[in-house]
Amino acid sequence: MRQAGAYSKLVSGGRSGPHALPLARIKKIMKNSSEEVKMISGEAPIVFSKACELFIEELTKRAWAMTLQGKRRTMQREDVASAVITTDLFDFLITLVSDSVPAQESLPVLEP
Amino acid sequence: MTDEHDKLLPIANIGRIMKQILPPSAKISKEAKETMQECASEFICFVTGEASDRCHKENRKTVNGDDICWALSSLGFDHYSEAMLRYLHKLREFERQRANQSNYKASSSTEEKDEATSSAASAPSFDFEILEKGGRSSPKP
Repeated sequence: MRQAGAYSKLVSGGRSGPHALPLARIKKIMKNSSEEVKMISGEAPIVFSKACELFIEELTKRAWAMTLQGKRRTMQREDVASAVITTDLFDFLITLVSDSVPAQESLPVLEP
Repeated sequence: MTDEHDKLLPIANIGRIMKQILPPSAKISKEAKETMQECASEFICFVTGEASDRCHKENRKTVNGDDICWALSSLGFDHYSEAMLRYLHKLREFERQRANQSNYKASSSTEEKDEATSSAASAPSFDFEILEKGGRSSPKP
């Protein structure tokens, strides 16, 4: 697409590519989140596509730190759980990961 | 439960984003990717809920990009919010230019029925390096 190519040169020095995450799926998840959500502007899933990328990157980096602490090279579910527990910002995920918290580590036990 | 996959982002995309940020020798278990899928969906729901509340309070029907940015900031994701606002600004600028160039009617990012993701689906595939610290965000497929 000529326009996409022209614009992408402006902002990204020549790189262009599809969104990292499918917009239609993001929109479905948004609509599923609550009955209140009825109309979603076209740009909202695009913003989320980027925001989710940042979120995944941040959680992945933190989880990897846990992997390395455990002297491993393969990230496990428990590493993601540990990263959630040790990051205040990710408190909203605690219930979601609470069944994956490693028993051995001295992390606070949380009631769901 | 209805189709679970509808509520999750594709594991391949998630895995790709995760791999990009890790050293080349790093491995990621399938369970870790699945957990990340669930966390990403929860993140979307969490932020959307906050954005939707705001719309409701302001008697607006459509959740837009600004609402998402506001919700990110409100929930403590200030660092995402700032980057998103810049991204959104450029996106809107681009859409305006495109609308002017091709006399494109209707599908803009103002209040519309939710069928209007056609505008999002055909949104330009550009990559905003404002978010990068020198790396790439979208890998080549």
